[in-house]
Amino acid sequence: MYSNVVVPRHWTRLSCLCRSLTSLEGQKVPQTAKSSDGISPPPRIRRGPTDILQALAATVGTDPTAAHYKYHDDPYLIPLSNFRKRAYALSAEAGRKAAAWIRDEHADLFTTREWDPPNKAKTPYFNADPHIKAFEPKPIYNDESKVTEADLQYAIKNALIEDSTKVFQLLGGVEGVNDELKLQFLQLLCFYNEKEPDSMEWLEERWFAANTRDRQATTWRVGGLAEKIFQSLEPKTSEAYCAIIQGMAKYYQAERAHMLASEAIEKGLQLSTSVYNSLLACVGFLREGTQMRIEALKSTLAQMNEQGISPNSETLSACLKSISAWGGGKALQQVALQVVAEFRKLGIEPGLAAYYYLLCVFCKERGPRYDLLSTMINDLEKKQSLVATEPADTNFFITAMGVCSDHLQNMDLAERLHNLLMKDDNYKLVGDAYKESIFYRHYVTVTCRLAPFEKTVEILDTLIPNVYVPEPSVMEEIIKTLEVGGAGDRLAQAWSQLVVFGHARRARLVERLLDAMCNTYQGQDEEIKAKMRSAATDILNFGIMSEEQEETKELRTPGQKLSASALCNIVDMCSDAKDKADPGWQTVNAALQKLGREEAAGVPAKPQVLADVAQKAVAIGQPAIAAAAVTYLAECGFEEAMSASVQVLSTMLNRPESEVEALLGQQHSSLTGALHPSAMAIAEAYSIAKTGAPVQRESSSSSSDSDSESSDDE
Amino acid sequence: MSLFIRNYKPNSLATVYNVKIWRLHSTAAESTQKKDENEEEFRVLDILKKKDRIQRKVTRRADIQPDRSDRMAPDQNWGNVWPGPKTFHPSSVPLPLRQGYVPKGQAPPGKKANAELMKVPNFLHLTPPVIKSQCEAIKQYCTEWPNLLNSQEAIEKHYPVEIITSDYCHASPSIRNPLARIVTLRVKLSTLKLDKHARDKFIRLVGDRYDSSTDLVTITADRCPARIQNTDYVNYLLTACFHEAWNVEEWEKDKTEDDMEYYDWNNNASKKSLVNWHLQKKGESKTLTDDEYKSFDVSEIQHADGYKNAVSDWMNSGESEETVKKYAEAVRKLFGLPEKKVV
Repeated sequence: MYSNVVVPRHWTRLSCLCRSLTSLEGQKVPQTAKSSDGISPPPRIRRGPTDILQALAATVGTDPTAAHYKYHDDPYLIPLSNFRKRAYALSAEAGRKAAAWIRDEHADLFTTREWDPPNKAKTPYFNADPHIKAFEPKPIYNDESKVTEADLQYAIKNALIEDSTKVFQLLGGVEGVNDELKLQFLQLLCFYNEKEPDSMEWLEERWFAANTRDRQATTWRVGGLAEKIFQSLEPKTSEAYCAIIQGMAKYYQAERAHMLASEAIEKGLQLSTSVYNSLLACVGFLREGTQMRIEALKSTLAQMNEQGISPNSETLSACLKSISAWGGGKALQQVALQVVAEFRKLGIEPGLAAYYYLLCVFCKERGPRYDLLSTMINDLEKKQSLVATEPADTNFFITAMGVCSDHLQNMDLAERLHNLLMKDDNYKLVGDAYKESIFYRHYVTVTCRLAPFEKTVEILDTLIPNVYVPEPSVMEEIIKTLEVGGAGDRLAQAWSQLVVFGHARRARLVERLLDAMCNTYQGQDEEIKAKMRSAATDILNFGIMSEEQEETKELRTPGQKLSASALCNIVDMCSDAKDKADPGWQTVNAALQKLGREEAAGVPAKPQVLADVAQKAVAIGQPAIAAAAVTYLAECGFEEAMSASVQVLSTMLNRPESEVEALLGQQHSSLTGALHPSAMAIAEAYSIAKTGAPVQRESSSSSSDSDSESSDDE
Repeated sequence: MSLFIRNYKPNSLATVYNVKIWRLHSTAAESTQKKDENEEEFRVLDILKKKDRIQRKVTRRADIQPDRSDRMAPDQNWGNVWPGPKTFHPSSVPLPLRQGYVPKGQAPPGKKANAELMKVPNFLHLTPPVIKSQCEAIKQYCTEWPNLLNSQEAIEKHYPVEIITSDYCHASPSIRNPLARIVTLRVKLSTLKLDKHARDKFIRLVGDRYDSSTDLVTITADRCPARIQNTDYVNYLLTACFHEAWNVEEWEKDKTEDDMEYYDWNNNASKKSLVNWHLQKKGESKTLTDDEYKSFDVSEIQHADGYKNAVSDWMNSGESEETVKKYAEAVRKLFGLPEKKVV
């Protein structure tokens, strides 16, 4: 039951040193970290309860081969696609939530002793020691609950909106609660707009939550509980005004917020800096037109000055937030720079949020380039540590990386930015799962486009798939890079990555991959060529398998089919086999059948490939494949069909081409008995290509593919 | 009921109701019939449940990645891969481990699906470089070692009292362990600087807590619920014993030779005989009191010290070849006899 850690003698000597009994008491603590007399221990270095743990944790770096530690370290349980990452993490959290539910609903189970007779537990008992508040069962309030003001205080302190509303009603609403509590409750309601916030306890839910875009729309509850409480407060203190104005401004009830602000000023009440910050953030809702808005902003700042309220760094970011929301243009950019300069004079440096808004104002997709980012990164690199002060702080890194990738197209800056994010504890500024994936999307894109090939490969290896799973568009970018770099083995690997990441059914991506593989195929080592061939075979088999699955399961949205060009690429790669028994020929055969049954979209872009394959096939002794290829060419009406059929037939019959042409010019029926079925099929194809129609439909059936094993016996 | 149905004519009002009744009736009849059939059938006791055991097709997932140990760089930092204690997992350890008992001549099973490797505690998280880096990390909280305490002797001299406690670490809602309250105090008796009487009394007071072979006094306390109380208590016990040892009570004077814990030559008949012999040899014949015998200074007798030591030694440490030989030598010297010749 207990893991017995007996402290060895040596250590007890060190830790439990007591001088002889007489000198133990009244011993003076020396003031230096060094022993004063060379015998007594120096004074201990003060440390927090978790300092040692943090120091030890700092020695552990990241392991690129491992998944995030919230997942099980097991190949079967490491998620490799975005869907799985989300599902696994949320499932684990669902288990925790279920446990918390049991704890809250059946709180009595945890406060009784097993050996107490039922219903006779005398004292409340907690088996936990020390007693941790966060792990206690949460109280549940309903209409029958007997509540006191202490309950309301508890609910307000723990930001439980629904519970506190319930308790507030049970206490008799506006009349039943004293003013101080009412003010606290009002502040809580205004902060959250009467909506239960996402609990801090459920980290994964917050991480994967989709509320990434805060809409700039009026969501303030008009005539809600907050307003009622505000009405009931008499006299209305400045705290009450501050709370309701900030609430309204935060949820974009701009006009009423400004009205209440001027009302408070008329009454001679003191407003706080944060009230003005929130008013500045929604000042654009009052006016139309850029010029008017700028004036309104300036007048609010002037009013702030009149009131004798000093601005802080949040004032700066609030101003810039307003400016960035009004669109772009020279005028706004000028104003933004003026504001920043003005605040610099006051000794207020822009923070992460302010930088984010500045990037929004200046770095538009279609516009002149502004290299604000390098100075920002210079500034941030100098800072000791980055501390998040506003929600918008988490937007900085993704926006900055987006600017690196789209606006500036600067690999150097992107790398510096990434290093900055990885420094110390800065990774918490990445925001949530959505922002993280956008950040890496930009990073990988800019790397693929601009970095040298070795560097790109290195970065891809560390990021994919444990940190980031590329989206289809990024995957395409990666494939393009690998193609340019001529990395055949990596392209072959890319296919298995596509399967694992769940992109294998995206026909466009697979076609792109096949194209890339085909282009880089020549000039690779034999070993890599074999790998690429097997990858191509795998692609074909996967397509066939998923089609079968679709048929059996009757999926509503059938997957796209591979195009004829893609199949041609497969054929091209797989036909590079010297041996007749090579499994590649089976793949070629399967692909040609697929083409022949017209299961592929479009026609091949490079018909010459098929003609070459037919030539190769017949040379190696696979006449059926050659026949299938030539027949397909003829049926599609390619010009290459004629010459190909003549060439193939001449190889097959071992005669010069002119003779073969003469032979083909003969009566068709005379050939029927004399020729091998495959040769016959080619003759068929020739006539189709020549005349546009088969000579004898019924005889063409003899060129069935089942005799692909039959050898050329002429 | 059937009569009713036969006579039933479509009636707009009662249709639904009637249909319902009819259905109820029919199902009831069916179910009873079924029951009869079941009862007739002789049921076989199927102990092994052979019928239920169906070969289930095991579907293997296709998108399993290869072991991550295959992808690990040879120059990676192992501390990042295995930062804390955990059960062995084959896919993350790039070592060709084998473990398990097999008949002679066979290789032990490999690391995959090997319960033997999972059972034993591993120290993969405490490799020498990791220990080194962790020590570096917590050095900032360490103070300098007092420079005069540079040897074990110095430590024992300046910190003679040793307090031994144990800390326990376990997974449970409570972090308390009742065994952690036990406190043991150890001190070398020689460091207490007692005189003969006080030392004797101290040893009698502490009883079997004193180990004469190591000269250590060990006091253990577990009677109080908290460690600090027990620490106070052992300190109190040591202090109390120490001061009590110095007290000399009135009744201690009644100590007779029978109460002596050791043989004191001065108090015993051997000295009396020696003094008598000495006096006779000098030709003085006078009777001495007991106290005079005790305080008689034997140093005036030649070789008396050696004799005294030999006798005390014999009596205190028991008869042995060594002590007897020593005694013989002392007696020869005392009487002026020649040395025993070694043949």
